Order: sequence, then structure tokens, then C-alpha cells
Amino acid sequence: MNKADKSNLGRATEFGALQFDDGGIESGRKALLKYLGAMALALLPFVLLVQDPYWLNIIAFTYLMGGLAAAWNIIGGFAGQFSLGHGVFFGIGAYMTARLYVAFDVSPWLTMFPAAIFASLVAVLISWPTFRLRGPFFAIATLAFNEVAFVIANHFDSVTGGPRGILIPFKAGFANMIFKERWQYALLMFVFVALVIGITVVLRRSRLGYYLLAVREDEDAARASGINVLEVKLRGMALSAALTSVGGTLFAMYLRYIDPPTLFTLPEVGVKFALLALIGGVGTIAGPLLGAALVIPFENFLRAELANALPGLNLAILGLLMVLAALFMKRGVVGAWGDLLIRLRRQRSSSK
Amino acid sequence: MNAELLAVSGVSKQFLGLRAVDNITLSVQQGEIVSIIGPNGAGKTTFFNLLSGQLAPTEGEVRLRGARINRLAPHARAQLGMGRTFQIAKPLIALSALENVMIGAFMRHRALATARDKAMVVLEKVGLAQQARRRAGDLTLGERRRLEVARALALEPEILLLDEVMAGLNQSEVGQAIELLQTLHASSRLTFLIIEHNLKVVRAFSERVVVLDRGRMIAEGTAEQILSSPEVIKAYLGEGHQ
Repeated sequence: MNKADKSNLGRATEFGALQFDDGGIESGRKALLKYLGAMALALLPFVLLVQDPYWLNIIAFTYLMGGLAAAWNIIGGFAGQFSLGHGVFFGIGAYMTARLYVAFDVSPWLTMFPAAIFASLVAVLISWPTFRLRGPFFAIATLAFNEVAFVIANHFDSVTGGPRGILIPFKAGFANMIFKERWQYALLMFVFVALVIGITVVLRRSRLGYYLLAVREDEDAARASGINVLEVKLRGMALSAALTSVGGTLFAMYLRYIDPPTLFTLPEVGVKFALLALIGGVGTIAGPLLGAALVIPFENFLRAELANALPGLNLAILGLLMVLAALFMKRGVVGAWGDLLIRLRRQRSSSK
Repeated sequence: MNAELLAVSGVSKQFLGLRAVDNITLSVQQGEIVSIIGPNGAGKTTFFNLLSGQLAPTEGEVRLRGARINRLAPHARAQLGMGRTFQIAKPLIALSALENVMIGAFMRHRALATARDKAMVVLEKVGLAQQARRRAGDLTLGERRRLEVARALALEPEILLLDEVMAGLNQSEVGQAIELLQTLHASSRLTFLIIEHNLKVVRAFSERVVVLDRGRMIAEGTAEQILSSPEVIKAYLGEGHQ
């Protein structure tokens, strides 16, 4: 790669991480097989550890976070719009579900869809002005929206329960989306991540998917190619926000207690979605889930082993790892793997 | 028989104290090839940006097939049939060459399979079929220029604005590029508006030449007339060269 390429890469994605996958033009059958294979692999830990409630908890959370990172990836990875404010949409899903369930006994399955639509609307409303900003300025603006949501959630306690939060009473039943067994939750979260990744597979092979990529790569070239850049960004954001809201619904019913800090603490929510995608491979199909599979269990391990030794040490180690990943694996695990394959292939062809 | 495709009347662009484009009027007939030449800083690229919508004119009017387009956004002008390339090629470097061209083809063809087939045909036309699966960022400069033309062609435009597509190409690549443009023009009666520094290209390819200097149109005529005009030589080389 020559110098001009490198500077181009830097300009196109200020946050590093680009992956050449060419995935859109493989045959539909091949894409489907790859997808089914990846999902079977993702289900493996669940099958192996289905008897272990401690691990099932981690697995369920990994699926959920993988799905949320994949939802973020639609706008953050494909379109290169580095949102750190996805906690807003996550919170909308969680609060609408919890409030309607507790106050009016509405099934979360029913609330899920209007909540997702509402999150899309909010996404469009707040993105309309912020999409004029580029790169870090866009990221900072979305960060601010997350903080605004935090304040609003604390303030309007008639809806959100304010700082006290909302406690969802335990009443097991499919209609309530509350289950007795951990494995049932894990399976629910798996369906969520499989759905979100399935949507990104279809998206990657659609006109909108290509337009999102074009917008990330070069907005002027996209415009000259007949692409309404703002409209494409808004569509991507709306889809991403809707799926994030569904994740919020599942999160609320899984924890059965939500309050502003659980929903809007940046390192745990808004920034986390982006980080998982970055570590796995931003803009790739499998990257976000892979990132979650690496980070979430490791985080749990650190929290369990180190939190008592020195408070905060687990977070410090996690932060250090993320810095290292950002320095040495700019395109995430999926990108590093791809580079390795290319290098092996070159070695083989040169040794012949 | 010739219908007017592009009509520019009294178009100007003011940047603070600088009048980059000053009262240009130009009419381009369907199927015509018009070259725009002029020294650096003459306002050629600014003029292109006014036509394609990257910039809005301070004064004047641009019409495509009689419809006023000077308030339209670039993407809307592309949809009306205006394709363009950029002076500095803008390949979508993380995508394959084929996918780059598909981005253009999607404008008229929604379905993936159709867009892919159309894009492949265009790649063959510009001689990049072998490179279809290569990453655009890995292409040579000459290939990138051809890719840029291919992406614009995939829009199935009525008029193609080419901004120095030959810059940085070697002799044989320039020859190939001229051949490509001639083939395109012969096969599809596409209208071309090109900015070009290479006078060999201007002579070989254009039917009419427009000369810009300091934002103004200082001459217009056939390549032969223009390239021997004293005023043009003065603009290019300064006083005292005859």
C-alpha cells in the first residue's frame, strides 16, 4: 500500500478500521450458507454450557451486546457515522417497554414495535441537524444527546421513575417476556442477534447497503453518483436506532430493573456498542458479534477476579486492551484475520 | 436536427473578493464534444462544479434539456442525466472495482443482480473487466481514472463532464483513453464536456473548444482556430510569444 492510499484511508475513516470484504457480490446462496454457518458457530457455546447458569448469563448478555453492536454497525460501520449516542435509542426501547408493562400490563412483545418506530423517529429528528457535522464533531454531538437523555430520564419520573428507576415484578410467562430459566433468556438474545445480523447480511447486498458504503467512502463521489447523502444517512440511522431500541426492550425485561445510570452510562452503553464493533471489525458482518464474544466474557472474568483486589483495576486493564487493539488491529479481529490470510497466500505463491 | 442539451447563461461565481467564474454563456448540443481549456486557476473546475451542483452559482442560470437545474443538488442533477468525474479521482477505495461501478448502476437499476450485470458491461467497455474483483484502492492511477469514468458511465448519463481524466497518464495510456472516449461517443452519441490540459487530446477528440482565462470565456471555436489564436497563446504563455 503506498502513501497516498494510507492518507486516503485515514480521511475516509477517521476512526480507523476498514475492511475489504467484497461480500455484496458473492452469490446469494454462498452468503446464506456463510450466515447459517456463523450462526451455528455462535450457538455452540449455548449448547455446550446450557446447564451452567453462571455462563448462561454471560452468554445471554454476549448475544444481546453482539446484536446491539451489529445494530450500531449499520450506521457506524457501513455508513461511517460514528454515533456515540445510541444509548438514547436503547433507553427509549427500555423505558417504553418497562413503563407500559408496569402501568398498563402491555406485553413487551407488543410494545417492542411502536418503541422501535418511536426510536427511529427520534433518531431522524436528532440526526437531521447533526449529520451536517463530520467525523469527530458528529461523534461529540451524539455524545451530547446521550447526556441530554440522561438528564431527561432523571427529570421526568412520571414516565421513567426518575433516579429510582422502574422495577418490573417477576411474573413468568411468554407473553410477559419473563422466563424462569436462564437458557430461555439466552435463546431469546440469540434470536435477537441472529435477526440483526441477518438484516445486515441482506442490507449489505441491497442498494441501501451499497449507498451507505458509498457515503462512508466519499460523500462527493456518492452525490455525483445520484445518491441523496442525507437521506441515505437518515435511513441507515433509523434502521440502526429501531434495532437498538428492540435491544433495549430485551435488556429491560432481562434485568427487570432499569434506571438512568444503567441505560445511559457511556462506557457501558453508547460507547460500548461502538467499541465492540471496533474490536471485532467495524463495517464487517460478523465483527460486532465477534467483538462481543471476546470482550463481554473477558470483562466478566476481570470483574470477578480483580474488582476486589483493587477497585477499578479491571476497567484499567480493559481500557489498556482497547488502546492496544486500536493501535495494532485497526481493522479489528476480522481485518487482522483477513490480513493474515492474504499474507499466507502470498507466502505460498512466492515459495512455489 | 441537433437539440440543445445544456444551456448556460450568464453564470458567475463569486468567492469573497475573487470572481472565479465570470459571466459565462455556453450552449452544448446533444452529441457534441466540447473541450474547456485554460491556464491554471482559470476557473475550469469551478465552472464544472457549478454545472454538476457541487457549487451554487452567484448569478446566472443552468438548463438541462430546457429545465432549470441551477438550484438542484448534485444527486438530483445526476438523476437528470449528468455524469461527472473529479479532477482528483475519488475511487471508493474499500470496495472492489465492480462494486464501485455498481454504486453508479444502482441509480437506474434497483436490483443487485441487474446493477451487477450493468456494471460488468461498463467495466468491459472501459477495459477493466480483469480488475473487477480488485480493491479500488489497489488500482494504478490509470486504472483509477478509468474506474472513475466507468462509475459515471454506469449512471447512463446524457452528458458526461470529465475533469482532466488524462492527467498523470503516460503516452500509451492517453492513447487508450482517447480511443475509449471515441468509442463511447460513436456508440452512444453521448455528449461530452471535458476539461483538458493535454492539447493532443483536445485536437484529437473535441469538436469545439472553449477557452477560459481568469473566469472569463476569452475564445470559442474549433480546435484548429483556437490553438492558433494569438489571444489564447497569450493567455497560456504570457506576452511576447508569437
